[in-house]
Amino acid sequence: MMRNDGGQWLERLLARHIHHEPAKFDFQRWSEKHPEESQLLESGFKDSSQSQETRTYCVLRCIMESKVTRYSAAVVALAMGLVLMNPFGASRHGGVLLADVQKRIAETDTMVLRGQKIFSCVADPNISFKFDVVKYMSRAYGHTEEGYLGDKPVYRITFNLQRKQTIIVLPIWKKCLIFPCTDEQTRIVERLSPTGLIDLFLQFDYKELGADNIDGIEVEGFELENLKPMENILPKFLFDIQQGKATVWVGVKELLPIRIEGDMLIGKSLMTAFTELRLHEFCILEKYNIQLDEKIFNTDIPEGYTETKLTDFIPLKAGLAGLGAGAVPIGLVVWCKKHKKRDSAGISTP
Amino acid sequence: MRMADVEDQILVRQALRGGLESFGELCRRYYPSLVAVADSILLDHHLAEDAAQEALAAACRGLNTLKRPESFGAWVGSICRNVARDMLRQLARQQEAADAPVKDVRDCAEDDQNSILAEAVQELPQHLKEVIFLRFYNEMSYEQMAKVLGATQQTIDGRLRRAKKKIAVHLKRKGLRNSGVL
Repeated sequence: MMRNDGGQWLERLLARHIHHEPAKFDFQRWSEKHPEESQLLESGFKDSSQSQETRTYCVLRCIMESKVTRYSAAVVALAMGLVLMNPFGASRHGGVLLADVQKRIAETDTMVLRGQKIFSCVADPNISFKFDVVKYMSRAYGHTEEGYLGDKPVYRITFNLQRKQTIIVLPIWKKCLIFPCTDEQTRIVERLSPTGLIDLFLQFDYKELGADNIDGIEVEGFELENLKPMENILPKFLFDIQQGKATVWVGVKELLPIRIEGDMLIGKSLMTAFTELRLHEFCILEKYNIQLDEKIFNTDIPEGYTETKLTDFIPLKAGLAGLGAGAVPIGLVVWCKKHKKRDSAGISTP
Repeated sequence: MRMADVEDQILVRQALRGGLESFGELCRRYYPSLVAVADSILLDHHLAEDAAQEALAAACRGLNTLKRPESFGAWVGSICRNVARDMLRQLARQQEAADAPVKDVRDCAEDDQNSILAEAVQELPQHLKEVIFLRFYNEMSYEQMAKVLGATQQTIDGRLRRAKKKIAVHLKRKGLRNSGVL
């Protein structure tokens, strides 16, 4: 307890130590320094040139400003990046045409696919992320997926097989996350691969869509309406795949997947920052069995980037390796810590 | 709803309809508080000003996502806290990269009393440090502090008492007389 005179003495001391002349805000100067924001204000937030990209940028920025959502976003990016990413998983099932496809994939050293990934909020479909994606796959080096907004790179995920290491690079924030790929993670990659997907086709009743033609290539289509086995890839509270549908168009001559499409409904879970999301993704095989530079699969920190370690978010000595078994305490600790901090600071979310 | 909240609500809505000057008014209202909040984290006035300006830019970009315009103050306060923490992390990394020892950016060696006081303030938990900075930076009222912290005036009062008590205990432990601790 403080005496009144003592309290005043301390207040005077604090005032002398901390006091500053009131900071004056020069709006004119701020506007000149932030022309995009000023333009956004002047347009009444209706400028079409700002709309989609700015909204996406803002959503991404919001995600990155919170530890929980940043962690979640990184893991979602990783998990979704791995979907349809790796064509070189182990094949264990037989079949008529699809078995031949798996055999052909097993003989393929490299692939380059291009496509799009569209995430949208179920509650507000106006909030969406649309990325153009390029995927490089090498049996020797690993897999890299690059995401773009227009021509602006937004993310890169590289899974380096030789180093057993993954890097997520976020050019907007000049930050990257690096973590080791354990056997558990490799197993998840394999289950989320096109080979794994074709395994699913062979395990369950799929629908034959018949013959078609994609960019002059004769193809045959296969559709699996229920991706139930994928629901258990991760614990539901972490990543809740509620519904899924996949379509593969296989080149009749090439015996390779020419176009792969996937649709998923992801329920409220930690990895989606407790938001229901829809994901639509399609990829088209652009090239295969070509020479790919090893640098594409480099997991070194790019120049000018700073590393954000997963352990900055997770106060446990665990990484993505624990997604299967050890994820429960990680998720809960991160979430509880955030809430405890927020409560103690008395912050109410507007 | 308090009058100041109503005013904020009106200003946010005007800004969303293209009212550049309305956003300017919001900036002028909260800038000193934001600088104080950022300074409590960064312990550097100039960096704190940069953080406050960046927070206002971020608030501008996300203004159309603000669900409760009357809570603009608490919202921009949270943004500013995040921006300042991010800057602090970057500074720490830069210092690590330069292999320089992490030093206090505020010159606290003016005299013993000041350095002990600075030490006492720095040892406070962040939520108590914030109220001390907001209170003594520009002699802010409890109402102004409550708005930017999104807390009640009673909470602010409680935090200020606890913060001052902790500082006084620290000063007494360091042998400063007249620290006022019974």
